Amino acid sequence: MYNDEVMDRYQNPVKNGKMENFDVKTDGASTTCGDKIILYIKTDGKKIEDMKWQGEGCILSIVSTDLFCENAIGKEIKDLKEQDDLAFVESFPVKISPGRINCVMLPLRTFRRGTKEK
Amino acid sequence: MISSYGKKEDFPIFKKKVNGKSIVYLDSTATTQKPKQVLDAIVNYYEGANANVHRSVYKLADEATEMYENSRTNVGRFIGADSNEIVFTRNTTESLNLLSFTIGESLKRGDRILITSMEHHSNILPWMRLEERGIKLDYAGLDGEGHLDIEDMKSKLKKDTKIVSVTHQSNVLGTINPIQEIGKLAKDNGSTFIIDAAQSVPHMPFRVREEYDFVAFSGHKMLGPMGIGVLYGKYHLLEEMPPFNRGGEMIKEVDFHRAVFEDPPIKFEAGTPNVEGAVGLSAAIDYLKKIGMEDVRRHEKYLTSMTLKNLDGMKNVTYYGPRDVEERGGVIAFNVRDASNLKKNLENKNVKVDRVYHSHDIATFLDDRNVYVRSGYHCAEPLMRTLNLSGTARASFYVYNGDDDVKAFISSLSEI
Ligand SMILES: Cc1ncc(COP(=O)(O)O)c(C=O)c1O
Repeated sequence: MYNDEVMDRYQNPVKNGKMENFDVKTDGASTTCGDKIILYIKTDGKKIEDMKWQGEGCILSIVSTDLFCENAIGKEIKDLKEQDDLAFVESFPVKISPGRINCVMLPLRTFRRGTKEK
Repeated sequence: MISSYGKKEDFPIFKKKVNGKSIVYLDSTATTQKPKQVLDAIVNYYEGANANVHRSVYKLADEATEMYENSRTNVGRFIGADSNEIVFTRNTTESLNLLSFTIGESLKRGDRILITSMEHHSNILPWMRLEERGIKLDYAGLDGEGHLDIEDMKSKLKKDTKIVSVTHQSNVLGTINPIQEIGKLAKDNGSTFIIDAAQSVPHMPFRVREEYDFVAFSGHKMLGPMGIGVLYGKYHLLEEMPPFNRGGEMIKEVDFHRAVFEDPPIKFEAGTPNVEGAVGLSAAIDYLKKIGMEDVRRHEKYLTSMTLKNLDGMKNVTYYGPRDVEERGGVIAFNVRDASNLKKNLENKNVKVDRVYHSHDIATFLDDRNVYVRSGYHCAEPLMRTLNLSGTARASFYVYNGDDDVKAFISSLSEI
């Protein structure tokens, strides 16, 4: 449906699942398409130690969420939150049409709303 | 097949190329494309007769008023109604809100309104707002194939049911509801009967009947411009109702603390109306009449049965709504299962065998092939909940679609 990188990750996500001893749990939904995700975050309040997700949605939102969780590890909450929307969408492995930007933005928006940096 | 009218050549948008290829437009349930005849009528109005209507005494204003009122007459004739029973609104949604804020206001605590589980949001939310005042909203259910469950409807038709408001054709399932039968039930019960005809007046012969108190539809779904809609109402009912919006145009005389309202339909058309819209809608009706509404319906049945036959052969595709094309319109909601994943999952003995693609992914996939379908909830979330679905893709047809569009759709879909 999309390219192999996207489809592989969709079928075999690496950060999908529940986290037991998380520090922050936050959820987000895109009401227009029914995508719903929960982010579990392990953090010292500054840096991300680990992040996992649960939920359901379209291929783009799931792959974006899985990539976001994986790429966040070791990064600072502040930097993750302040990254540019357009750059975030452009860094996605396939080109996104305007109508689907919300799908790709879902994890970043959920993260921004749910986290406070120390 | 269809007559010489209804060909793509009449619709300038089909000259458009995207990535060097023609577009396959399968979203006429959302809005329809416009033939040159409609566009010309709008330009002619502005070039030859534009003035405010019902106000001034000079010749140009007379011409504008005449064009506006002739459009009303044409709309009335098209559905077998008198012109003074045709109120121009913005769209179906506004027509139904008009009813909610007029006859809806006269309901009392304990009164009930009966709709169905397959309504568009625009035939739900105007009634839901009345629940704050202690009015009950009931939903008649569906059977397994997406027909209205008439027995359930009968059982929910109570002494206190003052309004029955039903979609004639579902914008998701395509189901055509037996509105004559429902109308009789409503009348026997003494209820006001309202029809959301947004998906029926554009697609099949439609005549108002004794049982039908109000009928709502939109110009943009029947080749006309956006921003013009219709509310048909029986004249004596329109007479009894209070106005909706208030202001210019809709009054006979105004004193400092008192106003005498115009007679229907002008009573409901406060402010400068959408004359270009009315003129465009009238031209759209002329265009549809040349094809003939029987032929419009026949053509859509033909395209639908061809599509369903093809979909029946695709193991990873599920479609919804009645199987029999006599009972449905040219609207096909469907989902696609991830067949590649199916194989992989079976090999891996994974539990998630039956993964369904999200409808947006299907629509994006088809979009890459210039096939335009809708995806999501289709403004019918309660229906999606009833069907336990998190959305569907949807292909829909109109007069300008042909075998070529069905073929492009099916071959693109089979590439998933
Ligand atoms: C059955 C039905 N009712 C009402 C509407 C609302 O129409 P409009 O947006 O033109 O008001 C639609 C449009 O999709 C529809 O399909």
